[in-house]
Amino acid sequence: MTQTEPVAKKSAAKKTVAAKAKAESEVKSVKPSSKKKSGWAFPFTAIVGQEEMKLSLILNSIDPKIGGVLVMGHRGTGKSTIVRALAEVLPFIDRVEGDTYNRTLEQYIEGEEGKKGRKSIDPTSLSIEKIPIPVVDLPLGATEDRVCGTIDIEQALTSGVKAFEPGLLAQANRGFLYIDEVNLLDDHLVDVLLDVAASGQNVVEREGISIRHPARFVLVGSGNPEEGELRPQLLDRFGLHARIITILEVEKRVDIVKRRREFDEAPESFMKKYSHDQQKLQKKIQTAKELLPKVTMTDEVLTDIAKLCMNLGIDGHRGELTIARTAFAHAAFLGETVVTMKHVKEVASLCLRHRLRKDPLETLDAGEKIDRELAKLLGEAEAV
Amino acid sequence: MIAFTDIVGMDLAKQALMLLAVDSELGGVVIPSAVGSGKSTLARAFADILPKGTPFVELPLNVTEDRLIGGIDLEATLATGVRVVQHGVLSKAHGGVLYVDSISLLDSSAVSHIMDAISRGEVLVEREGLSEVHPAKFMLVGTYDPTDGEVRMGLLDRIGIIVPFTAQNDYRARKKIVKMVMGTRDAEDTRDELNMLAGFINAAKEQLPHVSITDDQIRALIQTAISLGVEGNRVDIFTVRAAIASAALAQRSDVDEEDMKQAIKLVLIPRATRMPEKEAESNEAPPQEEMPPEEPEAEDEEAPSDTPDAEAEEEQKETPDMIEELMMEAIEMELPDNILNISLASKKKATTGSRGEALNNKRGRFVRSQPGEMRSGKVALIPTLISAAPWQETRRRDSKMAGRPKTALLITKDDVKIKRFRDKSGTLFIFMVDASGSMALNRMRQAKGAVASLLQNAYVHRDQVALISFRGKQAQVLLPPSQSVDRAKRELDVLPTGGGTPLASALYLGWETAKQARTKGITQVMFVLITDGRGNIGLQATFDPTAEKATKEELEKEVEALSLSIQADGVAAIVIDTQMNYLSRGEAPKLAQKLGGRYFYLPNAKAEQIVEAAMSF
Repeated sequence: MTQTEPVAKKSAAKKTVAAKAKAESEVKSVKPSSKKKSGWAFPFTAIVGQEEMKLSLILNSIDPKIGGVLVMGHRGTGKSTIVRALAEVLPFIDRVEGDTYNRTLEQYIEGEEGKKGRKSIDPTSLSIEKIPIPVVDLPLGATEDRVCGTIDIEQALTSGVKAFEPGLLAQANRGFLYIDEVNLLDDHLVDVLLDVAASGQNVVEREGISIRHPARFVLVGSGNPEEGELRPQLLDRFGLHARIITILEVEKRVDIVKRRREFDEAPESFMKKYSHDQQKLQKKIQTAKELLPKVTMTDEVLTDIAKLCMNLGIDGHRGELTIARTAFAHAAFLGETVVTMKHVKEVASLCLRHRLRKDPLETLDAGEKIDRELAKLLGEAEAV
Repeated sequence: MIAFTDIVGMDLAKQALMLLAVDSELGGVVIPSAVGSGKSTLARAFADILPKGTPFVELPLNVTEDRLIGGIDLEATLATGVRVVQHGVLSKAHGGVLYVDSISLLDSSAVSHIMDAISRGEVLVEREGLSEVHPAKFMLVGTYDPTDGEVRMGLLDRIGIIVPFTAQNDYRARKKIVKMVMGTRDAEDTRDELNMLAGFINAAKEQLPHVSITDDQIRALIQTAISLGVEGNRVDIFTVRAAIASAALAQRSDVDEEDMKQAIKLVLIPRATRMPEKEAESNEAPPQEEMPPEEPEAEDEEAPSDTPDAEAEEEQKETPDMIEELMMEAIEMELPDNILNISLASKKKATTGSRGEALNNKRGRFVRSQPGEMRSGKVALIPTLISAAPWQETRRRDSKMAGRPKTALLITKDDVKIKRFRDKSGTLFIFMVDASGSMALNRMRQAKGAVASLLQNAYVHRDQVALISFRGKQAQVLLPPSQSVDRAKRELDVLPTGGGTPLASALYLGWETAKQARTKGITQVMFVLITDGRGNIGLQATFDPTAEKATKEELEKEVEALSLSIQADGVAAIVIDTQMNYLSRGEAPKLAQKLGGRYFYLPNAKAEQIVEAAMSF
């Protein structure tokens, strides 16, 4: 619906724009020379194992409202590799050409017209471009002003103009924001991120600047629980909690080593080998996104979800909501239009694992507990 | 300057560095070694065997964040009015070596940045309105003294080679070292040897792409990793690389047993979390569920391995089983007794400095700005500009400032404001639990609950928890300072109880733990003693099992002296007595008094009560 006449050039421009936008989404680099030749990300579809995490990311890209993924687990199990590979299989979105906030036409007009002293904008004066869903990587040392945006010092010093320079939150709008080692992030940054994630808006009130811009993103955090726990408030904000563990099957590990070696030796031909799979997955996600509004769920299934959460003693309603949403996305991903308990079953631990009340002396794994309750419930449902 | 070839001993470390020189993708080498063993000399001499002109950057421990990853060159920026970027240490090491001495003392934010740079191969500078990418692919060489504490596991995980801890050199080597240092070596010899070694390494580099490794060999290495309980899958890649580099060094085109042993020694063993199960008689493979024994099944898996060297596979006559046996042999031979304790802090006395200032110039949260020197901290830009603004007119007229571009801001030293930060460092709670006697099990359970419950809230306060149990002859750190619930659960799973009550040993160990924590930026330490206060084993007995049993007076004196020193050192303490004590003679309250702390009598206390008591103080 955001399609206006300049779209004509989109298909021709698609390739170059995509490449450009990709570089941007990583980080705008001043020197082109700093773009490394090792810029190949290991292909998503060539990653062995860790299905839980992969599925979580895919479901979030189908429905960003699921609320992000927290990935906790062992070191050296491919967390960062998977997230960095994600960008390549995500579908494209439309935005107003060159807009730092990745806004659609409507959002752009709404945002810009609100500013005082601006006349109404003629939609035909704007062109639309296609960009891949941005995946922005938040480095650990990022300062608050780079995350939220700050005054443009260069302009302030040379021309005395107070201009706003958008930060990473702007870049991440409508995309993914990835924080590795989220459990080690500075407290105040965590606070800022929570605020923004909750409101979908980034409000900057500092250094004489007052600005707000949309910042809706899927928050992806990863970390190793042995290096520090995550604050409970933050934990709860993540829609899904995927666990990632050391793969213990020897054959799989041999496979990992071999693929990695192959990739390191000749990345280009390795990418080629997987390009078909990559495109297939990208298409599957795109199709699922389109199918999502058509997916339905019966009241029985909803009742079962509610019962499950109740039996597990989960506070609040975020549990039910997340399960429902995630199950919808999962059904869509499988190309189905009716949510059944089969879908629920596959996503239940992802959605609930971090919402169980913690008992320090509990030895039973949260996932097992959920599975057990689920089995009970399913048995019950069958009997009725 | 002592050359690489002149260094005596430390053979494993040398081999490790040579492997790294051959394959930089191994990421780096970490060398744990005692003080004065020549580890840093060796690390610096590493430059000798690298191609000329390879960057070799030494990272100072007190490096600031902006110097580490890069940032704005403020003076240049202010002078020109255009942002001038200063590259950080990490990007300066690009294509070469980053050397960190005492890597275990590096503060955690610096470690995080290094980890980030390693995993990306570049540094992202996202600060002060700057957004840049600098390439930073380097080999990390780190040395440290294990008595200073451990290196963060996350960092070790990204480094390929960890040299097993080596004991002291024997006397012959010592003699040679002295001679060497005194400079009796012929410079010519040294040069020749170095040239030869460099030639070796060059040849090995050329050989590297031609070395092949069979699937069975990869499988055997992975099996070994699993049976040693090594975490993660990244290590597999390092192990295979190390084996291949070792073969390349020997100018072979196939990996052989020696190479695999070398890889196991340098990559896997130092990461072992458990001893491989010793198969006494039958040398069967370690029991591992769902581990399909080497079947040809691998062939038809959709693995993209269309390029297996058919001949190489053929040549491999040993069955994987045999290889495994061999590996086990290698492990048993190489495994020092204390292998699992290497990274644990030793009980040796560590020196401390009191640098627990909450307000500082470098780290933590920016709280306010104040006038200061540009070099003494981070410049607070906006306040600086504000203070400069009113003077612009007058300064333009000033003759000294003439000749500057009109648009440039005129800023003098007096305008500069620097940022003040507040470090939010939490408290370290050291639980010391009396695990002696019959009620020990109960106390342990309470302590465990309290530890877990404290940790659940720890994140908010940035607190850490450690747990020391004391029983038998001496106290033992069961849980080193940690923030992790998972880790606490794991480490506290098995808690032995019963035996005597070495109270003094517990206090001593707790004090040591507190001191070590201080070197890592923790300022407040609190002891939580769960005991009835009746010690009956003296420090003497802890260190010397043959010592005579201490008298009651001696015991009391010991505890008193320790308690007073601990109190004087600024450690807070509470003593919790959880036992129904019909026969109490008031030892626990007395102990609390000596420590300058408070006494709680909480019979059958719940974990929450203990936490409450600890937090209330």
